[in-house]
Amino acid sequence: MPLKHAKWITGIITLLLIFPIVIGLVGTLLPAFAYFPPLGEHTISLAPWRQLFDQGEFYASLKLTLITGIGAPILSLWLALSLLAWGYQRPFFRKIEALLSPILAIPHAAIAIGLLFLLSPSGWLVRLFSPWLTGFDRPPNWITVQDPYGVSLILALVIKEMPYLLYVMLATMKSIKARESLQVGQALGYSRFTLWRKVLIPQLYPIIRLPIFIVIAFSLTVVDLALVIGPNTPSTLAVTLLRWFNDPDLSMRLMASAGAISLMLVIVLVLASWEVAHLLFRQLTRAERSNGKRFGLTDNILRLGVVLGLFTLLNAFVALALLPIWSLARRWRFPDALPSQWTWDNIDRAMPLLMELSRNTLIVAIVATLIACGISLVMLETKRHATTTATALNRPHVFDWLIYVPILLPQIGFLFGLHILLIYLNLNGDLCAIIALHLMYVLPYVYLTLKGPYLAYQEEYLQQANRLNHRPWRNYVLVKIAMLKPALFTAFAIGFSVSIAQYLPTLIAGEGRYSTLTTEAVAQAASGDRKQVGSMALLQAVFPILVFWLALAIPPRWTKWRLALKTLFSKNSKRNQKCSV
Amino acid sequence: MLSVKAFSLSLDGKTLIQDLNFEIAAGQILSIMGPSGIGKSSLLHFLSGSLSPNLTTTGEAFLNNEALHTKSIQDRKVGLLQQMPLLFPHMSIIENLLFAIPANINKIERIDMAQHALAKLGIPDKANALPKELSGGQQARVALLRTLLSKPDYLLLDEPFSKLDPALRRDVRAFVLNEIRQANIPALLVTHDTEDAKAMEGECLELGVVRK
Repeated sequence: MPLKHAKWITGIITLLLIFPIVIGLVGTLLPAFAYFPPLGEHTISLAPWRQLFDQGEFYASLKLTLITGIGAPILSLWLALSLLAWGYQRPFFRKIEALLSPILAIPHAAIAIGLLFLLSPSGWLVRLFSPWLTGFDRPPNWITVQDPYGVSLILALVIKEMPYLLYVMLATMKSIKARESLQVGQALGYSRFTLWRKVLIPQLYPIIRLPIFIVIAFSLTVVDLALVIGPNTPSTLAVTLLRWFNDPDLSMRLMASAGAISLMLVIVLVLASWEVAHLLFRQLTRAERSNGKRFGLTDNILRLGVVLGLFTLLNAFVALALLPIWSLARRWRFPDALPSQWTWDNIDRAMPLLMELSRNTLIVAIVATLIACGISLVMLETKRHATTTATALNRPHVFDWLIYVPILLPQIGFLFGLHILLIYLNLNGDLCAIIALHLMYVLPYVYLTLKGPYLAYQEEYLQQANRLNHRPWRNYVLVKIAMLKPALFTAFAIGFSVSIAQYLPTLIAGEGRYSTLTTEAVAQAASGDRKQVGSMALLQAVFPILVFWLALAIPPRWTKWRLALKTLFSKNSKRNQKCSV
Repeated sequence: MLSVKAFSLSLDGKTLIQDLNFEIAAGQILSIMGPSGIGKSSLLHFLSGSLSPNLTTTGEAFLNNEALHTKSIQDRKVGLLQQMPLLFPHMSIIENLLFAIPANINKIERIDMAQHALAKLGIPDKANALPKELSGGQQARVALLRTLLSKPDYLLLDEPFSKLDPALRRDVRAFVLNEIRQANIPALLVTHDTEDAKAMEGECLELGVVRK
């Protein structure tokens, strides 16, 4: 990109990235200390904190948050590592790898709704074994989903996070020379699992530390998933805070802000303890690594992880398969394993609503992602510029850490802080505001996806183009962007699926005036109209999968199709003059 | 006529080339030889205007007595051919050629020029083929014609034959020599293969023997 004033652009983008973060933090921090002019609170005090610490619900919620927020990442990491150690480089594992990106693309609310259909007392699992084994002819009185210990929430989190970690790990295999290490180690007589424990996992961990942190922060703060499948009364802290923030008694907002600040502190503390625990673990296992044993009992931990991991994946697929079944069911009485009558009526009836929700969802997702792609290109170009002109190469650029901040901060609290800004700007409830908040969460993922391919681009092609004809902007688009098409399409698909999944940003910026498939599906998940909820969750899953599929299918065929169209066109018009690129 | 006067090059205070002088007449090819790391490519970058900032150079370059080293890249009208043919992989062969033909020429004439180039290469049927469907030798030739179609005032060749099959090299060399003579512009070839230098039938300078 023939950018001028790269330094200025870097500065402006940096400010644009920092601005919402600062506003969101200040907008949470001040109310937490009872300073909240919109409510006429002008004095700083510790009252919200005292009120917070007097709430029994705060401690109960915090406990649940810690259980789910620490349990899920540990399980996800264990299962992902086990599956990788077991399947890496095996032919059938490639098929599982191919299934990872669709699971990643599907919004977690859709998966949670599918799990609800699968695991609830009247769900498919109980139906499958009823009445022939269980003897039930009506749903049992058990508590399976939304259990008070958060077990079902942990399962839902693991289903979402394990594939993500697996995906990230697979991408690092080349850089740690996994294949070569395995060959050398196996020649020395080591078992596969022992090699992973002693050689590969210790190398892998530092590279995937940041994705793990993202997973931990997500688990501790997730709202939509916890609303659908998590425990209630008490619920996890993020959900409790959401309820307080939305309380008609506006003074609850001050206490909720204090709660949001504590949630941020909890994230910091958990991440710090995680690192300390990892250091201890490394010290403890260091001696074991070089003791020369080729097998070990601890291999079984990984073996167990494989079984549980496969079971979890299976769960995810069954849950997803239940979405279309529910949306097409007419009569589906309890112990039947499948509907006795099928119909399109549910979808027909819900069509006007589904159309409106889809329209909102798609407008927000497409606009936010396109803007994110544009901004990412400018950011990466200034970064490339900085690394080629600076003498110190590979110095971490300001964007590389700033971009993670919105993902690591808890949405709850932070977004309510931003909401105050939206009110001041008179943008609350506006579609632009929704797009802006989505952009904040889409941008990091688009930027990170584009970064590798963009910076690895062979700049010689563009330089040669500029020598052949000096039209830098045209060449940038026709040569560089065109050659980066696969990466751009993938980045778009990822950004799109991130936007589709957003719950709180839509809810807070839209103030209920604009609903998307996600907000409506989450709101109705508890209502019990499974046919309608199933349709919404299905659409929620279908759009990202479709976009992902297109992003994989179009770029390799683009040039072939373009040339075929061109020859067709020039034959029809009997002229050989048309030459567009 | 391309002339370089009193060219010196140093990297981190270490002198690589000192006081180099030469002249190349139109239609002639001067070969510069020397071991790698001696600064051959940097000389080309100096002439094409894309020198990396950690290298320091002194000296002057003139094209037909007009100062070259003070001009910006876009005003230089330089053709550069590297080891990689750098054909754009997402454009057909004819699109690659058309890309280089100046935009002020009218459409029909541009197409004629591109078709003519394809005919010269003996691959008129490959107009709509993609670069990857051509052999390495064909790609190298297309790359040369593409560069020449952009009507450069002088041509720089940075080991353009080194990636080719030895069996192909002779043909491609002869093709390059013939085309440059027809285009009648000065050309500078950088290589470490004496065969390349001989085949260009011009002067040959060796670097790196004298200087320290």
